[in-house]
Amino acid sequence: MRLSRRRFLGGAAAAALGGAGVYELVDKLSPAPHRTVAEPAGMPAEQHVIDLGTVESEGVEVVVPPLHSAVVTATLDVSKPAGAQRELENALRELDARFALDPAGLVVTVAWGLPYFDRYVPAQAKLHLPYDRRARKPALLPTRTFPSDPQGTLLEENDVAVLFRSDRLDHIEFARNALFEKLSLFRATSIRRGFAGGGFHGGRSLPQKLAVAAGVPGADLIPEGSELFLGFTSTQKAGLGPRLIANHETLGYVDLRSGYFRNGTHMHLSHIAEDLEAWYLNFDFDERVLTAFRPGMTQVRQGTQTVAQGPGQVSSQRLLERQFKQTGRFGHSASIQAASRLLHDTVGEDGTVYPKGTAVPQRADFNTLDNPFAWTVDPKRDQWSDQPAAGVHFVVFNPSSDDFERNRLAMDGVLPDGTKLSVPPRTRAQGFNSILTTTHRQNFLVPPRRHRSFPLVEL
Amino acid sequence: MVAALAALALAAPAASAAPGGTKAGCPAAWLPGWQRLADKIDAPVYCPTWMPNPLDAQIGGQYEDIYSISKDRSYLVSFLEHGDLDSGDVHVNFRGYPGRTTIPKCQTIALEGAKTIHGVTNCFADPAGVKKAPGITATVYRVNQDADQWHILLAWRYNHSLYTVSEHVIPPYTYAQVVRNLGVLLKSLVLVRPQG
Repeated sequence: MRLSRRRFLGGAAAAALGGAGVYELVDKLSPAPHRTVAEPAGMPAEQHVIDLGTVESEGVEVVVPPLHSAVVTATLDVSKPAGAQRELENALRELDARFALDPAGLVVTVAWGLPYFDRYVPAQAKLHLPYDRRARKPALLPTRTFPSDPQGTLLEENDVAVLFRSDRLDHIEFARNALFEKLSLFRATSIRRGFAGGGFHGGRSLPQKLAVAAGVPGADLIPEGSELFLGFTSTQKAGLGPRLIANHETLGYVDLRSGYFRNGTHMHLSHIAEDLEAWYLNFDFDERVLTAFRPGMTQVRQGTQTVAQGPGQVSSQRLLERQFKQTGRFGHSASIQAASRLLHDTVGEDGTVYPKGTAVPQRADFNTLDNPFAWTVDPKRDQWSDQPAAGVHFVVFNPSSDDFERNRLAMDGVLPDGTKLSVPPRTRAQGFNSILTTTHRQNFLVPPRRHRSFPLVEL
Repeated sequence: MVAALAALALAAPAASAAPGGTKAGCPAAWLPGWQRLADKIDAPVYCPTWMPNPLDAQIGGQYEDIYSISKDRSYLVSFLEHGDLDSGDVHVNFRGYPGRTTIPKCQTIALEGAKTIHGVTNCFADPAGVKKAPGITATVYRVNQDADQWHILLAWRYNHSLYTVSEHVIPPYTYAQVVRNLGVLLKSLVLVRPQG
């Protein structure tokens, strides 16, 4: 089971497309999709919510993700936080006024790390940060590693992360410039860029085109039209959390305390390198299906990319354990679903009924050729390279750090009730883990829109 | 920019010329080894007249890596150049299974804690199209086992027997270049029949 040897493609071809240059191909390779979604009436209270259109892919309703995403992480460079709050809020409002709040315009999400709350507003944070009553822990926890993480995974300590999402690269660049070049509030620590989709109407998808153009090993093996590098569609509507489900308050997991962070959520940000050649040269299609989804899925037509994962197809913990006992392996989706899907019909705080099997996490991940980032302030620490490499910037919204951790631990076979599906970390029996390498992680809190700028400093 | 990349890809290491390299027959320097193999297994074998740079296909020569004949007369002949200073490998395997045309089974071994789980799987899987040469219609397999793991493999049937050739996907050759190499290799094959 040789899954360790890999070498990056060297040479001028890769170097020519290194760093940010490759992303400039995006607009040329895939024009922005036609969006039929109506503009939201007014600004939602949530920063993380984005209304996206859907298409049908192989009989399954699939959400069309924004073509481009970027994240800028930073530490702060402020001596007077109150003034900084006004300055940032004004800049964000100018962006709000300039761009529609949808993928054709721009969606900006400002998330704050524990170092910010600890250093700048410790007293207020003690009183107002939400508390996860289910976990009996703060809703925002120090970032941790997981069993399948390699030893070198960096736990970051940024004060802030800003997520930009748009079909237009120039919109993202305008906003990044407005917040990180024109203002002098931040010391950027990294810029992360990426893309998703683009192949829903036939032909090659954006990830495939860009990976091939960059000469990334395994690029030629990505199936035609694949939404992401690994060949399966991950944004099917029934598999994503509904609009407000990831809010702190919706499912009742979190005590909002003062209510300051009502309409807020938790965000986890990580970078994961993907070994495409190992995936496509060591796992045949059937094994890719049972690795990505669950053992026993033997009826999936060869070449299928969108495998239905709605509430009706959700794997229960019992099924997961039984199949593990039979086969000695578990699938990526099946293990996560044991933690990420509602176990019974649940009524949200606003009266919305969420049926059993509904997904809680709202994913906003996107593929990247960053290695590991498009730019970093500390290339040595981040082991930065200008050689493009296949990966994913994993961005996900959950009601709390603990909720994310439950999902991520389940991916490693540690289920919420403490059951352990015991296989060594990173073996091919353990879902995707053998071909993934997490390089960086950090937890953030996403305040509601009204408190997105330097939360709590006004108190 | 994509066009420029394609041009760069084509500028990868050139194929080596076979000694006396014509399709007419197995090159003189390589023929004795392939003839001995055909005689030993008492079945035809395919001798290449072209190999990816820098390999040759001289059995017993400087690039021979594996020369193995099983009790059932199936064989594996492998040629390898292991580059210095991380420059990459070039690795080509030839197999034949006289008297059988089914895809062989390979054993898999997975470690689950202290337990070892043994399984069985097709040695060649994930078919991805066909490649043709005179007298040969080969299926391209992308997921292969044992000595062919990480290789792209072509398999075809002839005279109630199964034959394969595969090449490792590893720098200096990309996946696309390996597929091209295998296409050229396939067209270069000549049969060497057992004598007497």
